[in-house]
Amino acid sequence: MAIEPGPEVPVKPGMGFRRSRFKETGLMGVLVALGMFLSIFGGSLPVTNRDTGEVVRVNKFLRADNLDKLAKNTSFFAIMAVGATFVIITGGIDLSVGAVYCLAAVCGAMFLNRFGPHGAGAGAPAFLVVPGALLVCLGAGALCGFINGLGVVGLRVHSFVITLGTMAIYRGIAFVMTKAQAFTDFPPAFTDGFVRREIHCYGASLYPVPLAIMIGVTAFAWWYLKHSVTGRHIFAVGGNEQASLFSGLPVNWVKVKVYTFSGLAAGIAAMIMLGYYGSASSDAGKGYELDVIAAAVVGGASLAGGRGTAWGALLGALIIQVINNGIIILNIDQNYSQIIIGTVIVLAVLLDRINNTLRERRMTRAPRP
Amino acid sequence: MKIHRFIAKLTLMASAMLIVAGCEQKKSDVAPQTSGGTSKKSEYTFAMVAKSQSNPVFQAARVGAEDAAADVGKKLGVKINILWRTPNEDDAQKQVENIEQLVLQGVDGISVSCSEAETLTPAINKAVDQGVAVACFDSDAPASKRFCYHGTDDVECGHIIMRELATVLGPGKHVVAIPGGNQNARNIQNRIKGALAEATNYPNLTIRGVYYSKEVPQDAAAKIEEVQTANPDIDGWAMIGSWSLFTDALLKWEPGKVKIVAMDALPAELPYLTKGVVQKLYAQQTYRWGVRSVELLADKVILEKKTANVMDYSELPPVTKDDVPQYEQNWKKWLRQ
Repeated sequence: MAIEPGPEVPVKPGMGFRRSRFKETGLMGVLVALGMFLSIFGGSLPVTNRDTGEVVRVNKFLRADNLDKLAKNTSFFAIMAVGATFVIITGGIDLSVGAVYCLAAVCGAMFLNRFGPHGAGAGAPAFLVVPGALLVCLGAGALCGFINGLGVVGLRVHSFVITLGTMAIYRGIAFVMTKAQAFTDFPPAFTDGFVRREIHCYGASLYPVPLAIMIGVTAFAWWYLKHSVTGRHIFAVGGNEQASLFSGLPVNWVKVKVYTFSGLAAGIAAMIMLGYYGSASSDAGKGYELDVIAAAVVGGASLAGGRGTAWGALLGALIIQVINNGIIILNIDQNYSQIIIGTVIVLAVLLDRINNTLRERRMTRAPRP
Repeated sequence: MKIHRFIAKLTLMASAMLIVAGCEQKKSDVAPQTSGGTSKKSEYTFAMVAKSQSNPVFQAARVGAEDAAADVGKKLGVKINILWRTPNEDDAQKQVENIEQLVLQGVDGISVSCSEAETLTPAINKAVDQGVAVACFDSDAPASKRFCYHGTDDVECGHIIMRELATVLGPGKHVVAIPGGNQNARNIQNRIKGALAEATNYPNLTIRGVYYSKEVPQDAAAKIEEVQTANPDIDGWAMIGSWSLFTDALLKWEPGKVKIVAMDALPAELPYLTKGVVQKLYAQQTYRWGVRSVELLADKVILEKKTANVMDYSELPPVTKDDVPQYEQNWKKWLRQ
């Protein structure tokens, strides 16, 4: 039986580009609205320029220092949310992300403490210590993610159950390793020389490395999801796992890959945290799993699978952090912060959904011949 | 058939005997020692239920309890065992389960630091009703039947921190902030209450706000950085909880520009004093929490003494730059390093 080709639909030049480009319009709109609101109502304050000593009035929200802290605070959650988005697109969930972050941080902290100013390996060259710490953090995170993936695929149990179990296991291992102590005293080459490297810009001290890593990870994840074969497989598995299986896609391998990437992302976030805060303990990342999943969902990922973007995850994390920042800037009583954050998250998701529905309706409206 | 019936009867009888024996055993285990010196045992078991395993202050309390068990036991000629039953993380419900289990185990006394007083109160009362002596340390359950509380006077602690900060800041107008930690923790709320009340004595101080965060070092430090950035006019922090100082993120602050007076003197906080970023720390007697818990329980259970003070407050000694070496040594002992 031959299939007759359907009527050709004329495509306007540049239409596909525009579609993908504006996928996060709703989120951008929410973010811009929040930013404008805080810029207008947050007020201004006098600040002394560190270079010139001149006192100038600056906008409380838009000042470089504030945006830098906002970017740094967002980076941990955004990077983990990008990883979690991979898992959510396949229809799974990773509850262990906070525990993986903790374990990777603890492993990295023990390594760095050993090579710190008072450690057994003090004086080791920075070109060995810094890559070594990166390898430990990223390796520990990726290994934990790989184990999660193997558990989900090998035991054929829902990811919720597997990652719930590994969440306890990883945090338990971190606790046993640290004996409830915080590890500090890291080599300055890793903290001030790398993650916490300071630059002076318009009289403000900025720490651009967390921001740069966040953008790098998100851009890579966007490219991977959009342009790589595995990226398309991830969407296919999340859209219809059975159909993907019958189409000959390596469903199990795809799943192992997404959990490994989620673990790797947690390892990268842990590495930034170690470098910036210069310490880690077994309670690091406590409760982060829900914040991370919230950022991914606000960013447009569907818990049913098949939908989600890396930039969306970043914007989702950013929206949550902007709300947190806004509560401080507007001097709102902190007792109300949870109510405000919850409400704005629901509103942001609602606006994004309305925007998506309108966009999909426009796109599915076939042009008349 | 007859054999089957016989086996069934035998099984039933054996089960009944086991149940009765079990009940008898349990009753004797938990029976209070009531008849003066005549019923003295040679071995006692006290349990410690702290808030969270992952907090080093409670590890110091554990070492204190174990050291005191050996000392007090030797002095009284008995053996004192310490059972450590602390949840991995702050969890009042887990603490209740642990207390119930300890009562069933037949311990002689329990010392508990309550994550939430209201949740713990019924469990403490039930334990006391079953003849187990219960004391509180660090965080109290004042409405319960516990015989004693040992620890910091939290309201007074808030007063001390704010008073010292006002002194350090000196005359002139100042803007002060308070990191709040967990909104549900009674001890933290009492410290905030004390600090705010003390601030009213200083008209030159303006309280910008109480800023809550998770009691996790990185989260607390992130919050303080964010608040300080948004409010650069803040020139004093009354840290009634010092979680943020367990990281080295604030070490990059210019020493003396923003004045900080903080609670505790944990190992990670000491470099802040050395560098001059923190002007003064007030050390809770965390090792003493364990020591005093054992002493109080031994007085109550073994010596059957009446507790002199229901509220047994511990000192809050100030720690300055000069005391850092001493505290570094102390922590080596307290954490058994």
